[in-house]
Amino acid sequence: MIASYRAELVKLGRRRVLLATALITVLFAVGGAAVVLSAAGPAAEAGPGRTPTVEALSAAGGGTATFRFAAAFAGTFLFVVFVGMTAAEFSRGTIRTSLLRQPRRVRLLAGRLAAILTFAAVTLAAAEALTWVAARALAPGNAVAVDAWASTSGLTAALADLGAVLLWVTGYAVLGTTLGVLLRSVPVALAVGIAWAGPFEHLVQDAWEPASRVFPGLLLEAFVAGGTPDVTATRALVTVALYTAVAALVGATVFARRDITT
Amino acid sequence: MTERSSAVCLDGLTKRYGTRVAVDALTVDIPGGVVAGFIGPNGAGKTTTMAMLLGLVRPSAGTATVLGEPIDRPDRYLGRVGALVEGPALWPALTGVENLRVLARLGRHDAGRIPAVLELVGLADRQGDRFAEYSLGMKQRLGIAAALLGDPALLVLDEPTNGLDPVGMTEMRELIGRIAAEGRTVLVSSHLLSELEQVADWLLIIDGGRLVYADHASRFAQRTSPQIVLGAVGHGELLRLARLVTEHGFEVGRQDGQLVVTAHGADPGSTAASLNQAAASAGIVLSELHVLRPTLESSYLNLLQGADR
Repeated sequence: MIASYRAELVKLGRRRVLLATALITVLFAVGGAAVVLSAAGPAAEAGPGRTPTVEALSAAGGGTATFRFAAAFAGTFLFVVFVGMTAAEFSRGTIRTSLLRQPRRVRLLAGRLAAILTFAAVTLAAAEALTWVAARALAPGNAVAVDAWASTSGLTAALADLGAVLLWVTGYAVLGTTLGVLLRSVPVALAVGIAWAGPFEHLVQDAWEPASRVFPGLLLEAFVAGGTPDVTATRALVTVALYTAVAALVGATVFARRDITT
Repeated sequence: MTERSSAVCLDGLTKRYGTRVAVDALTVDIPGGVVAGFIGPNGAGKTTTMAMLLGLVRPSAGTATVLGEPIDRPDRYLGRVGALVEGPALWPALTGVENLRVLARLGRHDAGRIPAVLELVGLADRQGDRFAEYSLGMKQRLGIAAALLGDPALLVLDEPTNGLDPVGMTEMRELIGRIAAEGRTVLVSSHLLSELEQVADWLLIIDGGRLVYADHASRFAQRTSPQIVLGAVGHGELLRLARLVTEHGFEVGRQDGQLVVTAHGADPGSTAASLNQAAASAGIVLSELHVLRPTLESSYLNLLQGADR
């Protein structure tokens, strides 16, 4: 697993990848902060839903709550990235090349995923810090007070927000990787991934009330948003953890047993 | 030639996909230190056999060992095996050298070998280019460089000349020759029998998933007799020549307006000389006289057509 982990880091640590990631991180931080702050309104006018309020953003954790709310918008994109990355390894035949060097299949998959999540953790920490800075600059223009942000409570909230987003990313990573392993074809996997995480879950949610407490994508959204009127963050986390464990078991079993042919 | 211990042993190895049998109870030992040419028509089961040896595909029945280890434990031997199967599959956005770095880490190989293998395959000056920008020949060579990273005792190459131009094929042949000269066992499949003939000293031939031949390449060539081709000017002279050859006790056939005599067991040079002398004595002027020695391709085609079975 360590060999697989270190090998994946070679790919992720290339200058081109780092530059592209840095650019996307800055755009996400500035854009995310701007969108979340401009969407925030007074609590008295807020309806049921996940839109942040001015009061919530003015609290100690408001600076990084902005990051957490911004991340919630990127769920479908993140899921599709993991599905596509995994399916591409099969479509291009690079999974075969990798298995010739690391025949312990589950270790190969686990090491690769761990490396991607490590990279994601570093990127998210940077994104959180940048989002805080951007939000700090934009907050006064949106009637959000920032006095409490730079405090011990603010730092504690920042760590909690980073942990929550990391768990959220891990959920999408495992679910996306499993779908990629099962489907193996990039176009098919992307079509299914986009259709499921995008329109399908949200359309069903409109027509079937329990969907918010059942579908993994909606549960991940609810968790990273700190809970919704339909489901608490804790319940969302526990349910998603269960889905993720099952997905990991299914993905690992199928990958370990299936013939690798292209 | 002294037989060395087997590099690969197959014992009833079988792969079925539903009712279709891709590999049918193959039993064969491939000696160590040879360049073994793996031959068979499209769909004969070559790639499936190689994939089973490399732990990519599970056998339906039978067993096999690679470098003395069972194939259900590829982790025990793949570190000593280099392989290029179903074409070079590497990460297109990575450069040549970056691809090798990834694989060196993945296989816990010495990354210090990367410059040497790039030099061996002739890609040292293009190592910084992205894999996606390589020509097919360069991709094949990088695939072989990747296979050589672990300093393997056994190299498995599936159609390494696929898609290459004549220059690329010659380079690949020379490369395989250089690799074999280092004492490694090479199992190489190819449709280009003329190319294989020049590097393989051992042959494994399958058809329809079944073993047809497995032994030294030199013994395979001996299974087909050489032929002597004779020509004469004009149809009448050719008929006279045919009668003369028959009178000397040879079976004669016709091909492209010439006579073809098979030298069963006889020295083809002496036979050609005696036929030349007989023709001259009969006043027949030969327009053509040469010995057609069997090639791997002609012997293989004979074999598949059942001539030598």
